[in-house]
Amino acid sequence: MLLQLKNIFKWVNSGGQRVFLLKDINLEINEGEFISVMGPSGSGKSTLLNVIGMLDTFDEGEYNFLDESVHNLKEKHRSNLYKEYIGFVFQSYHLLDDLTVQENLEMPLLYKKFKGSERKAMVADMLDRFNIVGKKDLFPSQLSGGQQQLVGVARALIANPKLILADEPTGNLNSQQSEEIMELFKKLNEEDGVTIIQVTHSEKNAAYGSRIINLLDGRKV
Amino acid sequence: MIKNYLKIAWRNLIKNKVFTTANIVGLTLAFTVAILLAMNALFELSYDQFHKNKDSIYQVYASAQTPKGSEIALSKSVPFAPALKEEVPGIKNIARALSTNVLVIYKDKELNLDAEYLDVDYFSIFSFPVVFGNTSKPLQDRNSIAITEKASNKLFGTKDGIGKTVRLKIGKEEKPFSVSAILKDIPNNSSANFDIAIPFENHREYDENKDDWDSRNHSVFLQLEQGVSVEQFEESTVEFSKLHFREEIESRERDGALPDVNGRYVQLSLLSSSDRRFASFATGVVRVQRIFPYMILGIAFLIIFIACANFINMNIALGEKRLKEIGMRKTLGAIKGQLFVQFWLESLLVFMLSIILGFILSNLLLEPFKTLFNSEATLANLMSPTILLGFLLGILAITFIAGGYPALLLSRLNTLNALKGKWEMGKNGLRNVLIVVQFVIAIILISGTLVFQGQIQFMRNKNLGYNKEQVVSIPLNGKKDSYRVIELLRNELQGNRDILSVSGADNNLGRGRDGSASTSVMGFDYKGRGLRTNVQTVDYDFAKTLDLQLVAGRMFSREYSADSLSMVINEAMVKEFNETENPLATRVYFNEDSVAYSVIGVIKDYNFKDVSRKIEPLTLFLDRNYDLYYAYIKVAPTNITESYEAIKRAWQTVEPNAEFIGSFLDENVDRTFRREKTMATIITSGSILGIVLSCIGLFAMSLLVVAQRTKEIGIRKVIGASVSSITLLLTKDFLKLVGVAFVVGTPIAWYALDRWLQEYAFHVPLSMWFFIGAGFLAALIALITVGTRTIKAAAANPVKSLRTE
Ligand SMILES: Nc1ncnc2c1ncn2[C@@H]1O[C@H](COP(=O)(O)OP(=O)(O)OP(=O)(O)O)[C@@H](O)[C@H]1O
Ligand SMILES: [Mg+2]
Repeated sequence: MLLQLKNIFKWVNSGGQRVFLLKDINLEINEGEFISVMGPSGSGKSTLLNVIGMLDTFDEGEYNFLDESVHNLKEKHRSNLYKEYIGFVFQSYHLLDDLTVQENLEMPLLYKKFKGSERKAMVADMLDRFNIVGKKDLFPSQLSGGQQQLVGVARALIANPKLILADEPTGNLNSQQSEEIMELFKKLNEEDGVTIIQVTHSEKNAAYGSRIINLLDGRKV
Repeated sequence: MIKNYLKIAWRNLIKNKVFTTANIVGLTLAFTVAILLAMNALFELSYDQFHKNKDSIYQVYASAQTPKGSEIALSKSVPFAPALKEEVPGIKNIARALSTNVLVIYKDKELNLDAEYLDVDYFSIFSFPVVFGNTSKPLQDRNSIAITEKASNKLFGTKDGIGKTVRLKIGKEEKPFSVSAILKDIPNNSSANFDIAIPFENHREYDENKDDWDSRNHSVFLQLEQGVSVEQFEESTVEFSKLHFREEIESRERDGALPDVNGRYVQLSLLSSSDRRFASFATGVVRVQRIFPYMILGIAFLIIFIACANFINMNIALGEKRLKEIGMRKTLGAIKGQLFVQFWLESLLVFMLSIILGFILSNLLLEPFKTLFNSEATLANLMSPTILLGFLLGILAITFIAGGYPALLLSRLNTLNALKGKWEMGKNGLRNVLIVVQFVIAIILISGTLVFQGQIQFMRNKNLGYNKEQVVSIPLNGKKDSYRVIELLRNELQGNRDILSVSGADNNLGRGRDGSASTSVMGFDYKGRGLRTNVQTVDYDFAKTLDLQLVAGRMFSREYSADSLSMVINEAMVKEFNETENPLATRVYFNEDSVAYSVIGVIKDYNFKDVSRKIEPLTLFLDRNYDLYYAYIKVAPTNITESYEAIKRAWQTVEPNAEFIGSFLDENVDRTFRREKTMATIITSGSILGIVLSCIGLFAMSLLVVAQRTKEIGIRKVIGASVSSITLLLTKDFLKLVGVAFVVGTPIAWYALDRWLQEYAFHVPLSMWFFIGAGFLAALIALITVGTRTIKAAAANPVKSLRTE
C-alpha cells in the first residue's frame, strides 16, 4: 500500500460557520494504480490532491504515506517526503519563465543535490524520452501549450517519483494534445509502475485510469 | 479634470498604504535633516557677510620667507597701520584691532568681558551699528568706550547706559572710562565678537611700543578705495616693505631663505574679510577652505538623494502592478500627457506632504539640533530671498525628477504590452544602479563615521606627555596680581593632602572654559643663524605639577636666585639649537647688548599645542616681570571631586569677585577638537539616517520583489526547494548589489579620509578594517532587512501562492 487516508476532514470558517472542503474521506491507494478523480467544479478535487501531495493540511483524520504518519510529521519532514516521492503536474504548467526547457528540467535535481554529471545524464535522458531534444534551449513562452505540459510532466518525472499528482493536466490542451499526454501517463503507469492520481473533467481521460473516485461537495460518493 | 486626477491619485496612495507610508516617512526624515544641515552649513557660509562694505574690506597679513619655506604673520606692530595709510595710496579707512578680555568694574560689580581695542575707523569699515549715542564717532575720545546692548544690560540693568562711568583694569591699573555709544549686539555669524570696544591707545603695551616696529600683537583691517584692486595695492606696498622691514629682509636673506617668485622676502597681502573664517595659515600660505560647510551640504544632498532613490524605485516597481490599468486607460483613449499628469500628481502629493512635515519637524527639532551640533544657526539665517528661492527651485527640481521619471516611464508604455502585463524597459537596471549608489553613500558615511570616531578616540587617548587627568587649570580672571594669587592658592591648599602641587604659566593647555588660546613666538640669532621658538613664562614646580619628564639638567628652583636668566627647553628646541651633544652648555644673547641666558634643563617633548599640531620648539622662562594667566593644580588620583571642590573654595577666598572657571586638562583637550566632534556627530547621524532610509527602500523593494516572484517561489517549493535555498535566492541579488557598492565606495572613502587625516600631525593609521567594518555592517543590515521578508515568503504555503494564477 502506497498511501491511506482515514476519516479526513478539512474545513474553513466563514461567518462563524464551518464550511467543509473535505468530509470524511477514506481512501487507500496501492502502488501501481492509476486513479482518476472526478466531480463537478468546486467539489473539492484540487483540495484532495493538495492534501495527498502534502502541499495543504487537513483538520482531522489520519494520513499514512509509506508507513509514515503524515499527520504527525513536522513541516520539514513532510516536505522531504514529497520532495522524494511525489511529482506534480499542473493545469497551467507552472514552468519557470526565465529558464530554458533544459534548465527547468534540471531544477528539481538541483534541489535534491545530485552531482553535475548525473544531472546532465538524467536531463538528457528525459529530453530524449519525451522527444524534446530539439527544444531544450527554448524558453517556455516559445513552446505551445501541449509542449509546455510535456515539459511539465517530464519535470515531474525526472527525479523518479513513486507518485504523480496531476490536477487537470490537459485542461488547457486540445483533444489531440490531451490524448498524447494520457497515452504518456498510461505508458508510465504500465511500463514503469508509477502510481498516478489525476483530476479530470473528461470521461474519456478518466477511462485511462484503473479506478475512478467521485467527489460531491467534499464527500466521496 | 484636475479634481478627478487628484481623486484618483488620492485613492491610489491609499490603496498602496505601506509604500505611501514608507515614502512619506522616508522623505519627511530626509527633508527634516536636510533642512537642519543646510541651515547649519548656510549659517557657516553667512559668516561676515553682513558688512555693507564686505567686498572692499581686507585684513592685512605678511608672508615672509624662511629657509624652511614661507610663513604667514597676521600680527602687526603699533606704528604699522598709521604708516601704511600715510605712505601707500588706495586706503579709504584703516583700523587696528586687538581682542582680549578685560575686567570691567561698575560699583560693586566686576565682569570679565570680551574686549576689542580699536581705532575709531573700525566702525566706518565694518557694519556694527550704534543704537544710542554718538553714531558717527562711537569712540569720541581716548577715555570713552562703546559697549553692546547685552553688556549694558549686564552692567547697568538697562540697554541705554550712555554717559555712565566704569573702571577697566588695564595692566596693573584701574582707569575710568565713560560710555559714549551703545552698539547693537554683535550677530552670531560674525568673526569679530566683543562686548566692549576700547580706544586702541589705551592698551597697556601701547606706549612702550608706539615706535617699535618689532613687537607685533594686533590685527589690521582696511577698506580699499573704490576702483583699487588687491593686486594693485599689494604691488604698491613693495617700497613700503623695503623701507620699514629692511632689517628683517636682510636677516632673512642672510639665514638662507629663498625669495618668493617676485624675488621678495617679505610681501604684504590682503585677505578678504569674507574669507576670514575659512582661512588657515598652517602651511605657510593662506588657504581659504569652505570644506566643512560644503561637506555638510553634501551630506544633506546625499540624504535627499537616498530618499528620492527609494521613491523612484518603489514607484517604478509599483507601476508594474498597474500595467493593466495603464493598458485599459490607453484603450479607452487616454493620451501620454494625461497619464503623465496623473502619475506626476501622485508624486507631487507625496512630496508636498513630506516637505511640509519636514519643515514642521525641523522647527521642532531646532533646539536639540543646535545643542547637538554646537551651532548657533537659526531659521532666520535662511530667510534671505536668494536662499529661499534657491531652496524652492531645488525642491521643485527634485520633485520633478523623482516624481516625473517613473510617471514618464509608465505613460510611455506600449498599449498592447501593458495589457499583457509585459514591461521591457530594463527597469531592474535602474533599480540596481540606484540601490548601488545608495549603498555607496552608506558605506562612505559609515567608514567616515568609523574613521572620525577613531581619530577622536586616538586624540583623546594619545599620551600628550603631561598628566591631563589629575591637573586642574584655572584661568586667572580676577583683579589680583597673578603671582600673588598663585601664592595665596598654595597657602590656602597647603593642609590638604589630596592637593599635590600648585604652579602657573602664561598659557593654557588645551582650551579652557575661558575659550582663549594664544601663541607667543620669538625669533633670535644664535651662532649666526636665525632661530625661532615658542616661549612661555612659568612658575616654580611647573614640571612637577604637570608630570613633565626632565631629560637633562634641572627645572627652575627657589634655591637658585639667578633663575630669571635661565631657560628650560624641550627636545625639539635642542634640535633647533643643533646642540644635541651638550645642550646644557647653550648660552643665548637675545639682544646684542644684553645679558646671556643659559639652558639649565631639557624636558621631553609634550603637546603644548593642539593634538593635531606637530610639537614645535619651546622655551620656558621664569620671569616675574611677565604676568601669569593660568594656575595649574595637581590633585591626588583619589577623591578627585572633593579636591576640585576644595580648589573652588580656595579660589573663592582668594578671588571672591571673580568667577571660578577652572577645569581638568582632559576636558580642555577634548575642547580642542570640538569641531571634529561636531563633524563626527553630523556624519554619524547622517550615516545612521542614510542607513535607515536605505533600509526602508530595501525593505520596500524586497516586498515588491517577493510579490513579483510569488509564483516562482511556489513552483520552486513544489519541486523541492527548501526555505533556506529560496531565502538565499531572493537575498543574493541584494547582497550582490551591496558587494558592488563596497567595491565602488571603498576607494572613494579611502581617498577622502586619507586626505582628511593628512591634516593631523598625529593620526590613526587608515587601516583596511575601517572599510571592511563598514562593508560588513552595510551587508549585515541589508541582509536583516531583506531577510525578514524573504524568509517569510519562502516559508509560506506554496499552494496559496500558486492559486494566484
Ligand atoms: N482557502 C479556502 N477558503 C475557502 N474556501 C475554499 C478554500 N480553498 C478552496 N475552497 C473552496 O473549496 C471548494 C473546493 O475547491 P477545489 O479547488 O478543491 O474545487 P475543484 O473540485 O478542484 O474545482 P474545479 O473543478 O473547478 O477545479 C470550492 O468551493 C472552493 O471555493
Ligand atoms: Mg480544481
